[in-house]
Amino acid sequence: MATERELSDFLKGVEKRAFKRSIYHVRDEEAALDIVQDSMMKLAEHYGDKPPAELPMLFQRILSNCTLDWFRRQKTRNALFSNMSDFESSTEDGDFDLLETYAVVEGSQQVESAEDSTRRAQILRQIESEIQELPARQREAFLMRYWEDMDVAETAAAMGCSEGSVKTHCSRAVQALSKALKAKGIQL
Amino acid sequence: MTTNTPLTQPHPLQDRFGRQVAARLSAGASELPYDVTERLRAARVQALAKRKVVSLRTAGAVQASGGAATLSFGDEGLSLWSRIGSAIPLVALVLGLVLIHTVQNELRASEVAEVDAALLTDDLPPSAYADPGFAQFLKSGGE
Repeated sequence: MATERELSDFLKGVEKRAFKRSIYHVRDEEAALDIVQDSMMKLAEHYGDKPPAELPMLFQRILSNCTLDWFRRQKTRNALFSNMSDFESSTEDGDFDLLETYAVVEGSQQVESAEDSTRRAQILRQIESEIQELPARQREAFLMRYWEDMDVAETAAAMGCSEGSVKTHCSRAVQALSKALKAKGIQL
Repeated sequence: MTTNTPLTQPHPLQDRFGRQVAARLSAGASELPYDVTERLRAARVQALAKRKVVSLRTAGAVQASGGAATLSFGDEGLSLWSRIGSAIPLVALVLGLVLIHTVQNELRASEVAEVDAALLTDDLPPSAYADPGFAQFLKSGGE
């Protein structure tokens, strides 16, 4: 059984990635925060007594379900309203990233020059936008497999599909990303 | 691009590319703005508090079932304490009986021992009491 400390450390370790992943899916910072918060609550409430080794898988599953729930709720709303809010949130996202870059340059007195930092942030933004462009299943498989460092079997279990599908999704995602980034002249 | 390699085969280059992208994303995720990290922290604290509530609720359920048990005894007119209270006289009675039995045994033993001692220390031999003539002698002597 995971202690409160273990649960806290686990959530601390995954919360930022979970937030970013949710943003890639829903493209709305507020919604992403809500989804992450819901997922954390559900994990703590229903699975807080599970062993620490089971928490990552459970959390990925809950996060995926919460994201799906959000999309279902969005679907029930007015389509026009939904599109407008998408437009607004994507604009906010752009401003948000600029502020983020500015804050990083201001805050960290490191050896990295402002130019390097800005270029790095630009590359990150382009990678993120390409990830957002991926089909949802491919994006999910790719992020779980490489960012969450889950193996094929775990990703398949979390996504509720076969291992072959996970490999196919990952492979297609990698091909699409590498093609898109190469077209933009980005070398990793 | 999709022509040479089957999609389901593991590909080291593909994995390397995936991990490089992931490393970039991790670097980006570690530089989230303060308000977002604070909101995430608040959400985490809230979730942990929810976990506490769960554990408390479990304890409450146990307590509640204990309370129900007490109530059901109450319906029969006996709570746990009154059951214990009602058992005390019974225990006292049993202890008293055991004590009386022991004391009586000892008294009887000491009486028999006194009679034996009197018989053995008397001048008259014990075998005389078994003689019918002696009994007759005692009767006539008493008269």
